[in-house]
Amino acid sequence: MIVNQPSNNNLWRQVERILPAVTKPGRYVGGELNQVIKSWDSVRTHVALVFPDIYDLGQSNLGIAILYDILNKREDIAAERAFSPWTDMESTMRKAGIPLYSLENKRALADFDIIGVSLPYETLYTNFLNILDLSGIPIFSRNRKESHPLIIAGGQAVYNPEPVAPFVDAFLIGEGEEAALEIVDAYQTWQKTGADQHELLTHLAMIPGVYVPSLYFVKYNQDGTVNQVTPIHPSASYPVNKRIMAELPPPLTQFLVPNVETVQERVNVEIMRGCTRGCRFCHAGMVNRPIRERPIDEVLTALRAGLSQTGYDEVSLLSLSSSDYSHIIPLIEGLRTLLVDHQVNISLPSLRIESFSDALMDELQTISPGGGFTLAPEAGTERLRSIINKPISDELLMETVRSIYRHGWKTIKLYFMIGHPQETLADVQAIVDLSKAVLQEGRRAVGGRARLHVGVSTFIPKPHTPFQWVAFDDPEGIEEKLSLLHDGLRGAKIKMTWNDPDASLLEAWLSRGDRRISEVIYNAWQNGARFDAWSEHFNGDHWRLAFQQSGLDPDFFSKRTRSLDETLPWDHINSGVRKDFLKQDFQWSQQGKARPDCRQHCYACGILSTYNKLRLAAPNGGWKCP
Amino acid sequence: MNQQEQITRIRVGYSKGHSLRFTGHLDMQRIWERLLRRSGLPVRYSQGFHPRARLNLASALPLGFVSESELLDFWMDKPLPLKEIRSGLDSAAPPDLEIKSIRVVDLREESLQSLMSASEFEVEFFDPQDPETLREKIKSLLNQEAIIRTRRKKTYDLLPLILNLDTFTQDSGEIGLKICLKAEPGATGRPDEVLNELGYTNTAYIVKRTQLILSTSNR
Repeated sequence: MIVNQPSNNNLWRQVERILPAVTKPGRYVGGELNQVIKSWDSVRTHVALVFPDIYDLGQSNLGIAILYDILNKREDIAAERAFSPWTDMESTMRKAGIPLYSLENKRALADFDIIGVSLPYETLYTNFLNILDLSGIPIFSRNRKESHPLIIAGGQAVYNPEPVAPFVDAFLIGEGEEAALEIVDAYQTWQKTGADQHELLTHLAMIPGVYVPSLYFVKYNQDGTVNQVTPIHPSASYPVNKRIMAELPPPLTQFLVPNVETVQERVNVEIMRGCTRGCRFCHAGMVNRPIRERPIDEVLTALRAGLSQTGYDEVSLLSLSSSDYSHIIPLIEGLRTLLVDHQVNISLPSLRIESFSDALMDELQTISPGGGFTLAPEAGTERLRSIINKPISDELLMETVRSIYRHGWKTIKLYFMIGHPQETLADVQAIVDLSKAVLQEGRRAVGGRARLHVGVSTFIPKPHTPFQWVAFDDPEGIEEKLSLLHDGLRGAKIKMTWNDPDASLLEAWLSRGDRRISEVIYNAWQNGARFDAWSEHFNGDHWRLAFQQSGLDPDFFSKRTRSLDETLPWDHINSGVRKDFLKQDFQWSQQGKARPDCRQHCYACGILSTYNKLRLAAPNGGWKCP
Repeated sequence: MNQQEQITRIRVGYSKGHSLRFTGHLDMQRIWERLLRRSGLPVRYSQGFHPRARLNLASALPLGFVSESELLDFWMDKPLPLKEIRSGLDSAAPPDLEIKSIRVVDLREESLQSLMSASEFEVEFFDPQDPETLREKIKSLLNQEAIIRTRRKKTYDLLPLILNLDTFTQDSGEIGLKICLKAEPGATGRPDEVLNELGYTNTAYIVKRTQLILSTSNR
């Protein structure tokens, strides 16, 4: 028989019939190399790992891949994957009454014990709701019963969990490598007792890093600000400290190799986690502290193992600031051997202007000649760069650029942000002038072949950063700055890309919101919002209408400068960096005072006082705190 | 022997199962490039900064089809015992891609694409079909003087591309179709177009390629 796989699965038989009628059906079939399929009845706990965007994007997500590996290594757990269906598949599934299913055993998501959802950015929220709905699972936690899967969410966006709190049973704040298994353990123990779901939630709440929103009560002030968030059960801790790994576990090497093209197909190895630079706008740099480096041998061994297990011809080293890695030069030397043996492309993103040297440039040239080179000055003037704590002098920037072009790279990409606190139009004009000067350098070095791309994004004041109190620039201001850039760069042969200001505004609402924003998200989803991260799908009107329906004022969340003594909606979540430290850093920014890299000197951000025991217990953890 | 004389051309017969049903031709090439990288065999690569394995797939299989007889040639820098090549490929093959056969082929032989002559397919319907009705449909289709269709804005006659079209009884007892179509460069018939002429859309059936027929004997 040609048809029929896997056997006894009516759902899959239905799916097989509809696939030829949808675009890119290869997204929906699984069956990749290194996929793990366990016999459904042979395992005790079934976990679905969900990335709420299409397969093409989610498949390469490293967080999901790591958890998939860790969970499947346990014999009694089956971890399977699910992604958002694209709109044509969604409507086909809805018409045929087909629920969302996992790619491994092709089981409905509702059949799983636990669903773990990755939320690395806020514009996935409506897709998350849509996934629950497509799975026939009630959207709100309070409407779910024991028979429904436990819904866990994690990822960088949930450092402010409140906007999605009513939809999620438990959040995992921080790093999941150990906590994921502890969650399953708690689930299995609870299953044996046969107690109700409240009992399970109280047990989960005792796992470090787990936040169970239903165990906290949010009290608001008359003016709509949060008065306080109070635990209403003894097992709920206050604050909830994020979870971290004292020592980075061995890197993943058994990557799934997709059968259809996806956005990133390469061996990804994290060389370090965390960043010590302290850029004040940078959420990742604040919440992923402390800095922990992986030993160079471990990185190189993992790259080789990854290549031989996948057959990929590209490797990428991940970190927030690769050039700050202590052994960057020996690492690149090691990569060169790898390149000779395996004929691979190497990408080493996130190089910092301050940590460049001619020696580094010489080394880089040997592994990645030609092509482009990316730098992120983030702001156009020295003044503003001091305010955002990326204090690079114009001179150093130009020197670096000169050196890059001279070393043979012909394309430079510069990243800037507009809408920074205290930004003036002069700062924006400086982006134009700087960009022109950079291209001028390029022309001097390599003539007409010199290229410059300028990427402009909009600053969003993110929770847990020193800028968490400032207001999001208003759309009119953003438009004015963008048109200044467009006019200034017109005819300069500089390619410019930018973010839709309306989409940035959405991100501001969702990242800065409190629990009441959940209603807006729900309404927006009902209004038809999906794939908000996709410019062709994002529709600001769905959201403005949703605010009206919820009786909430969008400006309250995005436009308002928050008072330094206001209780912020995410104050009960502790990223390890103290609020007092953030406050001081914010005040320093207002004085134009930069804070140096904390590798040399500890500024007591709070990480060591919270996690010092952990550090002492892992002497080989590679922490670079002084 | 000098380096040139050591170059070896290997022809692989393989099957493409359900997991790869929706993996298109270009993606299949990437799957083979990766398979060959994992195999550790001395595969011959193109020169330059982005070297790629030299390989040659006989015939693109339409999206949604499975196959038990695909063919591909690849080249190695030096000869190896067939057994060793076989185990290298077997150990590197992804799910639902099974190596069926391998043999050494003369370097001077023409490319697989230009050797292609015809393809045989079996069609299974999701919903049981009435044998008599189906036979009637076939008969009236083949009795036409020409079957003019348009593909990529070009009109062509499908009829001479149909070398054989008949029913058969599957293991399940249900009626299925066997189709043999011409597959020469510039004159290749597609089973879905035949099925479309018979009144079926692509969600009504699943097709398996059962054989590739090459022009010089059956290489």
